[in-house]
Formats: sequence, structure tokens, C-alpha cells
Amino acid sequence: MNGHPPDSLQALLAGAARGDHACFAQVYERTHRHLFGIAVRMLGHEQAAEDVLQEAYVSIWKNAGSYRATVDGQEIQPITWLIAIVRNKALDALRARTRRGAHEQLQQLDDDEDDAATPQGTDTAPGALQLFEQAMHALRIDGCMAALEGSFRQSLALAYYQGLSHTEVAAQMNAPLGSVKAWIRRGLDKLRTCLTAQGVAP
Amino acid sequence: MRYTDTRLLDALASAYVLGTLAGGARRRFERLQRDRADVRAHVAQWEQRLGQLALSVPARQPSAELWRAIAARTRPVGARKTSSSRWPAWLRPAGFGLGGLAAGVIAASALFLSAPGLFLSSDQLAMRSGERLPQSYVGVLNDAQGQGRLLVSSLRHGKTLTLKVLGTAPLTGPAPALAADERLVLWALPADGAPFAMGTVAASGTQVSTLPDTSEKLLSKVSRLVVTRERTATPSAPSADVVLSGSCAKLW
Repeated sequence: MNGHPPDSLQALLAGAARGDHACFAQVYERTHRHLFGIAVRMLGHEQAAEDVLQEAYVSIWKNAGSYRATVDGQEIQPITWLIAIVRNKALDALRARTRRGAHEQLQQLDDDEDDAATPQGTDTAPGALQLFEQAMHALRIDGCMAALEGSFRQSLALAYYQGLSHTEVAAQMNAPLGSVKAWIRRGLDKLRTCLTAQGVAP
Repeated sequence: MRYTDTRLLDALASAYVLGTLAGGARRRFERLQRDRADVRAHVAQWEQRLGQLALSVPARQPSAELWRAIAARTRPVGARKTSSSRWPAWLRPAGFGLGGLAAGVIAASALFLSAPGLFLSSDQLAMRSGERLPQSYVGVLNDAQGQGRLLVSSLRHGKTLTLKVLGTAPLTGPAPALAADERLVLWALPADGAPFAMGTVAASGTQVSTLPDTSEKLLSKVSRLVVTRERTATPSAPSADVVLSGSCAKLW
């Protein structure tokens, strides 16, 4: 179907869209560990991440038919689509948590766990900046991205891997809000330039 | 806010995907996406770019409870009801609830009673008059002691499969009973191809299910049937743990 091998994620999502629960079970089996890692990284808490993943997979089951392999002529990897769903659910959960005022607690967790510049505590999870640098290296754009100052890369990394808002990034980096917004903006622009030059993404 | 400026749209899309676009602006942008394909294209591009960053995040294993919770909320109602016989999805009658089935049976019966000639082949008429059995595929599976334990039958040109467990002893015999995550799966072993699953087998009683095609198409080259003990919900090949085995024959 669609020229994809029958056991590809594309074909399995197409099966799920037809209501084939066994295909959906295979989509889960193939992707849940990766997506759970992403959710735990953002939420800092396994139970919260499981809640987010549950909502995300129910949404994937219901909306599998809306996955498009191409948008505007460009190919969309199924995993990209799945990551976007999980990150959106995680962002919703994070913002709801902020609204509930439980944020000091989270902030504490973040401080302990994720200050990449000064790793501390017993948590051995890699910091946001470290994950960012690893991704740059794996994509072979670390040279290209090195033109950016460290604070640009770190603000982008905190926003992406931990789902922090501008204000939260500013607080965490002890930097002015306006600067953080500009750093992230510039970081995204640079990321696009480097990915395009490398031919990895549009 | 002007939404005609491509650069602005692109900046909004990047902030949306990153997550820094928050509150009312985020909700407005989501509405805009629903209405405009060009906005969705910007978002898709940024999802493609930022998705690359996720590749370095270490994978983690959630609890097994997570899948149970997801499955409970997603598994189609028909399959959830018959917890003792979790048929693979391809064996499930698609979109065909019990209500539809009952209505269909009633409608078909009414027509059948008023005009039987429309429905009956000469073979079926012969069967009704008691001369012979209908053309069917029939299998009898025995346990390790040679006792017949499972009767499998399906009309040659029909799409209904009937399984009847014979006797009352556990199908698993002297081996340990099925664990919660185990099931018995019926496999057809074609002479010239890979085995394919025909569904799970309940511990007792008679089960009826719908085949994805006629038995003639599925079973014409099948001479052996086995039931194995499986640990996964949708095994791709039979395990070595064979519980029952037998022949599949054409009854004509």
C-alpha cells in the first residue's frame, strides 16, 4: 500500500487508520520506548510521561487516517509525525502544570537534573545541552552550528528537550527574557540553515 | 496579527513546533492550521527539522500497564467483549456490530423463507433434503494423547469459521494452564506457503468468526492445522509449543 513494505511504519499506520488494531499494536511496539524517552525528558517524571503517552497513542489511533506521507511535496517520516503528537501532548501537560502552580516543584527537578553547564546531583540523565550537541554531532551539523554562541544553543535545547517556555528558559539561564527570545529565534534560523545545507531536512 | 506574511507565518510555525508559542497565541495558531494548508506546510517543515533533535534522547521502557490502558481505550468494542477469544484484527467483521448482524440475519431469513430457490444451489437443496452434507472444509485436531479436541468447520464458499471444543478437559492437557498473557492460536499450514493464523481458540464451547476471504480461497491448499501456545497477541509464525494438531479435509 502506497508502495511501502507491509511492515513499514507507514503501512502499519495505514492499517491502524483502517481500524486494524493489530497494526496499531505494532506501531506502539516499534515506537513507544523512543517516545516515552522524549516524554520523560520533557516532564521529568515517569507517571506524568505515561499519562501523556496514553493520551498521545489514543490520539494516534483516532487520527491515524490524518497522517500524510507527504505535505506540499515533501516527505514526512511517520516518526516525525508521532514525535510531534507526543511533544504537543507533553507541552499541554507542562502548561497545565504551570497553571496549577505546581511549577516550583518542577523547576526544582529541572534545576537538579538538567543544568548541563554544571551537572550536579545523582541523576545521570544527560542534560538538555548535551542531548542537543549529540544530535548535532549525529546529524553532522555540529561544525555548522558551532558558529552559534553557547547560550543560543542552550536556550534552544532547554525549550526543545524540556519544553520550557521563554520565561522559564530565562529564569533557568538567569538571562533577560528579551535576550532569550532573540537567542532562540537565531538558534532556529541557524538550525534550519545547517539542516538544509546538510540535506537532512527542508 | 497579519497572517499573510510568509516570514511571520514561518516564525510562528517554528515557535509553535518548539513549544514556545503559548497561551492564546498557540490556540489561535492551531485554528489557523485547521483552515490553511500553507500554514500546515510550514508546521510540517518545522516538525521535520526539530524532529531530528529528538533522535539523541535515550529510549526508556514504560510500565506494561501503559499498553493495557491504551489497548482498553482503543481496542474495538467487539473484540473487547469477547475477552476469551481475541481474534486478530483481520478476522474481525469490520464495522459489523451485533445489531447489524441480527438485522442481517432477520432480513436474510425473511427473504429465505419467501423465496428459497434464490439462495439454494443444487448442492444446498440436496443437503436440505438430507441426501448429503454441504461442501465444507473440516478439520479435527487431536491432543498429544490422540483425543479429538477441536472441530474446525467452514462452508466451502462461505466466510464463516466455526470452532467447537470437544470434551471438558483443559486443551493444554497436563501442561500448566494458560498464563494471563498466553493464548491458543489456530494455524493453517498450507502445502506451499507460510503458516497463517486463523484466530485464537477459546477454552470451551463453540466460537463463530468471520474469515477475511472464502474458505475456498484460504484453505484449498491447507491439509494440516495446528493449535499452538503463543505469548504475543499477533504472532507472525507458530511457536514450537504445539498443543493440538490434525488434518484439514474437503468434505465433497
